[in-house]
Amino acid sequence: MQGMTLAGFRYLPLVLLALGWEAVARLNIIDSQALPPLTHVAVAWVDLVRDGELVENGASSLYRASIGLLLAVVGGGGLGILMARWRLLDVFVNPLVELFYPLPKSALIPVTVLWLGFGDGSKILLIFLGCMIPVTIGAYNGARGSDQALVWSARSMGASQLRLLWDVVVPSALPELLNGIRTALALAFILLVSSELIVSQEGFGYLIGYLGSTGSYEGMYAVVLTVAFLGFAADRLYQLLMQWLLQWRE
Amino acid sequence: MAGIESTASLAAAEADVTRDAARRLDVVFRGGAGVFSVLVLLIAWELFARSGRVTAFMLPPFSAVVERIYGDAASGDLWINLGLTLYRATAGFVIAAVGGITLGALMSRNRLIRWIFDPIISVGFPMPKIAFLPVIILWLGLYDVSKISIVVFDAIFPVVTATLAGIASVDKELIWSALNMGASEREVMWQIKLPAALPQILTGLQVALPISLIVAIIGEMVMGGYGLGGAMMSASRFADSRGVFAGIVEIAIVGYALIKAMAVVRRRLLVWHQETAERS
Amino acid sequence: MDGKGQIVVERVTHTYRPPRGRTVLALSDISLEVRPREFLALLGPSGCGKSTLLYLVGGFLPTEAGRIMVEGKPVTAPGPDRGIVFQHFALFPWKTVRTNILYGLERQGLPRPEREKRAQAFIDLVGLNGFEESYPSQLSGGMKQRTAIARTLAFDPSILLMDEPFGALDAQTRLLMQTELLNIWKRTPKTVIFVTHDVQEAVYLAERVAVMSARPGRIKKIVETKFANRDPSILRSKEFVEKVDELWNLVRDEAIKAQETKAT
Repeated sequence: MQGMTLAGFRYLPLVLLALGWEAVARLNIIDSQALPPLTHVAVAWVDLVRDGELVENGASSLYRASIGLLLAVVGGGGLGILMARWRLLDVFVNPLVELFYPLPKSALIPVTVLWLGFGDGSKILLIFLGCMIPVTIGAYNGARGSDQALVWSARSMGASQLRLLWDVVVPSALPELLNGIRTALALAFILLVSSELIVSQEGFGYLIGYLGSTGSYEGMYAVVLTVAFLGFAADRLYQLLMQWLLQWRE
Repeated sequence: MAGIESTASLAAAEADVTRDAARRLDVVFRGGAGVFSVLVLLIAWELFARSGRVTAFMLPPFSAVVERIYGDAASGDLWINLGLTLYRATAGFVIAAVGGITLGALMSRNRLIRWIFDPIISVGFPMPKIAFLPVIILWLGLYDVSKISIVVFDAIFPVVTATLAGIASVDKELIWSALNMGASEREVMWQIKLPAALPQILTGLQVALPISLIVAIIGEMVMGGYGLGGAMMSASRFADSRGVFAGIVEIAIVGYALIKAMAVVRRRLLVWHQETAERS
Repeated sequence: MDGKGQIVVERVTHTYRPPRGRTVLALSDISLEVRPREFLALLGPSGCGKSTLLYLVGGFLPTEAGRIMVEGKPVTAPGPDRGIVFQHFALFPWKTVRTNILYGLERQGLPRPEREKRAQAFIDLVGLNGFEESYPSQLSGGMKQRTAIARTLAFDPSILLMDEPFGALDAQTRLLMQTELLNIWKRTPKTVIFVTHDVQEAVYLAERVAVMSARPGRIKKIVETKFANRDPSILRSKEFVEKVDELWNLVRDEAIKAQETKAT
């Protein structure tokens, strides 16, 4: 109980911010068009859910992000671990990974659109390509750090390469790998929203743009806040997942 | 304070990788294997593009892309776009840097300010803040102000987090020594805490700079018009694949240049630091 | 004593309150007097609160119960009359040796030529010529400590508070630094409170040694350790060794007690 009140106190400024928003909007300090009261935004949100618009577009967005991220995690994780174990691959691929790391991933938006058009495919490809890098780096660094002594003793006990990977390398690589995935998660949201804002026929970004261009600003705010909150919630949930996964290590 | 601590660990993870990006570029361009790989990549690109397995539309040859860049440079288009993007990214970065360090310093000194901004930062950090771009456009229109504003909104977070973390980790004996010598609280903040926190603050800035570039480009892509992002999106819409690839190469070069520049600045400013001493 | 010492600690109690975890009673009803220009050692096992007492005298921690008076006035804040030297040097890493030493002089508002002259004088005093423009990261442990000492001496405090200043140095450097400190002290006599857990160091350097009990800290006994001279040869003299023995016996019980409380 005490924990909850403490948490409430910590987040109180956000509540105050919400109240402030409501007050400023109602007092018409800023043009009421540009800043509708928070209560109106809430009503619009409910409407959008009821209409199905929010859910449909949301599902589409989350579908794209999930597939892209999943492919990135599997592909990037696998690549990173293989690079750490297989010297030849490392020497060749490492400089390429490091070359692409500093590239602003948003630069890939126009080319994926060029290749795959406006639909799901381009978004999934974008997120896959963009998110693969942090996952690969995390997996690589994590696998590199594998305690050599553990590896040798497992080998001397006759462990096959696959067993080795599963029992020794992956668990010790886990923290760095999980951190890399966390970065990728945040990046996935950014790339998703960006690409949908720029060009899309469905999804959160599309819905925001559509509501904005038709003057339904309350609805626009509602979707913006929904997406922002989802990004935040995804990170927090992922942190819990990380803690849960890592507790087995100890 | 779990909120800001978990944010800090995310920030730290990103900071580690970003700050090392410069060192990684050294790996690429100084290590023989690095240059070799890049050359192989470019040659493979060229050959694959010419092989006929893909259309020139899907993958224009590297040589054609270079030609295009050269053409844009000669006609002046490249410089206009580059200049605009750099202007927006840099302006946003500078505002985020000054604002972020100031806010971080204030938060470390004043409990009330800290309490107010703590949840805003820890909740805002993992949000895709680019989602707020339409709101900013609604308020500020389709001009540079909006682009710079979204850059500031995105880039300020890592700076504040880094400043807070840096100041918090200042060795208390340094502060006590300064107080011992008669320094006032204000002198301690400006003459001791901030210089001592500089390594971490610089790391935050090194994370914020690529963010500034990325967000400026995204902003341009959404809003259209001039700038590297806008030009690339136009090219994409007009199925001008050479233009799109030229844009990727240009943005890549700008991105690397900025990272290297930050690394040089870091080394100059931190000439006294352990890590610099170890490297030399 | 009669309450007329330069530094008077009167029945001070201090509780350490960490942000997380239980509170710890560091000092309990401790009293001590220090005469002007005397070299006093605070000797005790680790955790006994001797550093805490030093920080209280320095004004870095607030006195909650009891009184601490310096020159008849209560201690409320740190100040340049009580210069401190830390075990880990606390040098400003972004400043050179010279600018580190200059910092205190700048705070005092001395005019520039005088600042430079004084700084150089102290660099000479501790034997760091040629290293004025070096950064702390380029110096050895001994050189860093010399810089720290020069920095504190430069603003001429009448009292010197030293918190195990040679604890981070290797044994040979430590011995050299101890002798140097004595030489410096002879030339510019100041009141010194020297915190250490090393019995031999305390006996060698100090005129009086205050032995502290294990936590919560109290003064167990004060022993006179004045010798006719202080050059390193006395370290093997019978008189010296007997003194060390006497003090070691006083400390040993406290050290064992400290170990036991740590285990619980």
